[in-house]
Amino acid sequence: MTSGPTGLPQRARLSLGVQRAVCIALSPLTTLAGYLVLRAWLRLRFVGTGELRRAYRRFRRANRGAPLLICGNHLTMIDSALIAYALGSPLWYVLHFASMPWNVPDRNVFAAGPWQRALTYAFKCLPIERGGSRLEVADALARFMHLLRRGEVGLIFPEGGRSRSGRVEVENAAYGVGRIVKSVPGCRVLCVYLRGDAQREYSSLPARGDTLRARIAWIEPKTDKRGLRGSLDVSRRILVRLAELEREHFDAVA
Amino acid sequence: MSQEEIFEQVVKILTPYVKNQEALDGVAMSTHILDELKVNSARLVDVVLEFEDAFDIEIADEDVDSVETVGNAVELIASKLA
Repeated sequence: MTSGPTGLPQRARLSLGVQRAVCIALSPLTTLAGYLVLRAWLRLRFVGTGELRRAYRRFRRANRGAPLLICGNHLTMIDSALIAYALGSPLWYVLHFASMPWNVPDRNVFAAGPWQRALTYAFKCLPIERGGSRLEVADALARFMHLLRRGEVGLIFPEGGRSRSGRVEVENAAYGVGRIVKSVPGCRVLCVYLRGDAQREYSSLPARGDTLRARIAWIEPKTDKRGLRGSLDVSRRILVRLAELEREHFDAVA
Repeated sequence: MSQEEIFEQVVKILTPYVKNQEALDGVAMSTHILDELKVNSARLVDVVLEFEDAFDIEIADEDVDSVETVGNAVELIASKLA
C-alpha cells in the first residue's frame, strides 16, 4: 500500500476524500439541521458571535491552507456543534466548507449504531474508541493529522472528556492533543472557551433557552521537552490558556 | 538488565494503576494492560513516563501505540536499553 506525502496510506486518503465529498454534498442539509437543533429546538442564544466569526474568517482568509486545531473546554455532549456555530454561520460553512471543523467523537457514544454512524460521517466526524486498541487510536489520529496538514480544521477537547468539576481541569491534559500539535508543522491552536449562563457542571445538553458566551485566544504552543513529556507539556499549555479564558469569562459575568 | 528484571519492574510500576487485582495476581507477558488489568487509558501516559524515569530511557510518541500488553512494554524497554 502506498503512502502519500503526509504518510497516510492511499486507501485511507481515498476514504477521507470520499467522506469529504459526501459531507460537502450534504452540507446544506447538515448545517441547516444543526442550526435548527441549536436555535429552534434548544432555543440557545449566542452572545458576541459576530466578533468571533469575524476573527475566525480573518484568520482563515489570511492563512489559507494553514493547519488549525481548535481546542475547547468540554461541558456538554454537543460542544463541537456549539463551538462550530459560534465561529461560523451555517451559510458561511456551506460556502467555506474546509473551515467547518472535523471532530473525533467517542465511537461508543456517538457512532454505536448504523444511523449514528451515518450521522457522524455526514457531520465531518472521525469516531475514535476511547480506551480502545492503541493502534486503532493511532490510526484515527493519523487521519486527523493528515487532514490538518492539508489545511483543514480540526476540533478537539484537550481534557479528553467532559469536565466533572465544571471547570477547566489542567491536570487532566490528554497527551494526544500535544502530539497532534507537535506532529503537524506550523499548526496554530485556537482556544475556545464556551459556556452557557445556566451551565453549573457537565451535562448532556445545554439548558434549553440558555445564553452562551464564548472567548477565544490564538496560540502556537511550543515546548523544549521531547517525546511524551513534550506532548503532555503542549497539552497543558493549551489547557492553561483555556483556564485563563475561563477566569476572564467569570470576571466578565460577575 | 534481563527481561525478567524488566518484567518485574514493569509490573511494579503498573501496580498502582491496576483496577483488576485478580488479573494482576496472574500477570504474564501476554496480559493486556487496558483490557485485562483495567488500567485507565488516560493514565497509560503516566505509566510510560514512569518507565522513562525508572529505566532512564526516552520513549517516542509513536512507541506508545505499540504498547498493548505487558510483554509489549517489556520488549519496548529492552530495545531502548539495548
